[in-house]
Amino acid sequence: MSATYAADGRDDTAAGKVILMISSSLAAVLVIAGLIYAAGTGQRHVAAMAAAGCVPSLFISGLPCTTGQMMANEYLAIATPANQQLSTDMAAYAVNEKSDLAAAKAALTAEAASEQAFDASLSAQLFTPQNMATADAMIQNATSNGTTVPLASALFSPQVTAIANRLIQANQARAALTAEQARSTSLTQLQSFNHRAEVASAAVGAEVNLIRKALGLPPAAPLN
Amino acid sequence: MARSTSGRWANEQVAAYEYQPTPYGGPDTYQPGPRRGGAIPAPRQAKAPADDLQPKAAKTRMDEWMEVDFKFGGSRIKRKAVALVLLGIPAVLPLFFMLPALITLNSNTFAGSVDDTLGTGAEFCLILCLLITPLALLTGQHWFIPLRRWYGIMMAASGIGDAAAAGVTDNFAGGVFGRLTGHTFTLVGFMMVMLVVPLVFTSNPWAQRKLGRYWKRFQRLTYAIWALLACHLMLLEGFGFESGTNGSGFAGDGDPVFHQRFYQFSACSLFLLVLRLPPVKRWIAARQREGRNWLVWVAVLPLFALFVFGLIFIINEELFKGIDSFTEHPSAE
Repeated sequence: MSATYAADGRDDTAAGKVILMISSSLAAVLVIAGLIYAAGTGQRHVAAMAAAGCVPSLFISGLPCTTGQMMANEYLAIATPANQQLSTDMAAYAVNEKSDLAAAKAALTAEAASEQAFDASLSAQLFTPQNMATADAMIQNATSNGTTVPLASALFSPQVTAIANRLIQANQARAALTAEQARSTSLTQLQSFNHRAEVASAAVGAEVNLIRKALGLPPAAPLN
Repeated sequence: MARSTSGRWANEQVAAYEYQPTPYGGPDTYQPGPRRGGAIPAPRQAKAPADDLQPKAAKTRMDEWMEVDFKFGGSRIKRKAVALVLLGIPAVLPLFFMLPALITLNSNTFAGSVDDTLGTGAEFCLILCLLITPLALLTGQHWFIPLRRWYGIMMAASGIGDAAAAGVTDNFAGGVFGRLTGHTFTLVGFMMVMLVVPLVFTSNPWAQRKLGRYWKRFQRLTYAIWALLACHLMLLEGFGFESGTNGSGFAGDGDPVFHQRFYQFSACSLFLLVLRLPPVKRWIAARQREGRNWLVWVAVLPLFALFVFGLIFIINEELFKGIDSFTEHPSAE
């Protein structure tokens, strides 16, 4: 008689066999199901990102994703106050350009400062390693503290970053021109810059419309 | 561990205390090999008064190979000592990952990821601790048994560290006690730590001698910790059904199932649990006596595959979060 059987012939290990068979079968099914599920990870990831409106290039595993709407909101949060300030400065210049050199120069200096500030704000949202680290820290702080993720953590995607870089370059050129204009010593010299300033503004406007289009925003109203 | 490596297999009583301590995770019998007296369970009174003091199972070739020492830097070291140190290193990683944040008192890193780094680390150590007995049962080898205590102690260190950091840095209301017990999952975690403390303090030969036959029963509290950890993870992520803010992963993740800690833990636990059931152990012992160990391996393979499947995600989590913690850029998932 096998050692497996007790004196009455009863299989002493039958219960263990049944338990092992059931649990192993369950485990085998789970492993196979897991492997099948794992095979669809990529597709599920893409579908989940699309459903959540995430920007794929900005997705970081383990962190809340950045959506296109968040990018657009972040751009508007930068551009709207900058545009308002720029409008005020340009209006002040328009009032004084023919009559008050000092006031016009002051308006141009303020305009150059507004343009620089806009560029700096935009640069902070570009898709760069440094910005990504900063945004990452912001998201982590918010999630660990249970607070809302700040809008500033929404960086631009690489595609939008490329347009934003061109916008910054165009705006830098305009700001340099505005600063040069502000150094004028007469009203005539001051007004001689106007045409070049308009061309520079048109270049900025073209890039603004491109970035707004990429962000799904309507074209901007032209600044006077 | 040094103590463990100096133990001798042949000396009954001495070796029992040198080797056996298994304290931690120690609810398991030290002798998982073929049961003495055949497959028929012996009457309870016929058993040795304490499993701890039972004679050892026969050494396997691997055990004998591990006992051989070699010369290293002017002294002789057992192969087993080297193997145990190497196998013990992973258990130190969770604490190692948090070291920079501790040295620099970086509260942001502690608040952001200590619960993941040390919490997952404690889970990992508990699984390794619980893995020793099934492995000894399946392989018949015993040289790695001392790791059970080591993994248990490191599990306690990680768990206590997790609770301490959570009590200080979490943003739940109610002061330290509120932070530790204010939510159901934190309450369960706190209970685990309360159970771990006495276990770790009695995981030494002195306590084993003092507690005598009650020591082993006492160490069975490890099973309660095991069950509480399952509850903790279940409550942590929406009973295994939620993803996103109250569950695993975030929007766009696409893998909420794999990232559910409760599922990972369950996948590992099935193997650890089944191989502890007395009927299963009897069946395995019977097959081993018959020389059909291959059948045991075939039967256990799916369970082991599922175990590895779950453990991979736990290790991934630990490394991912741990490296983030080490670089003090904590992940907040």
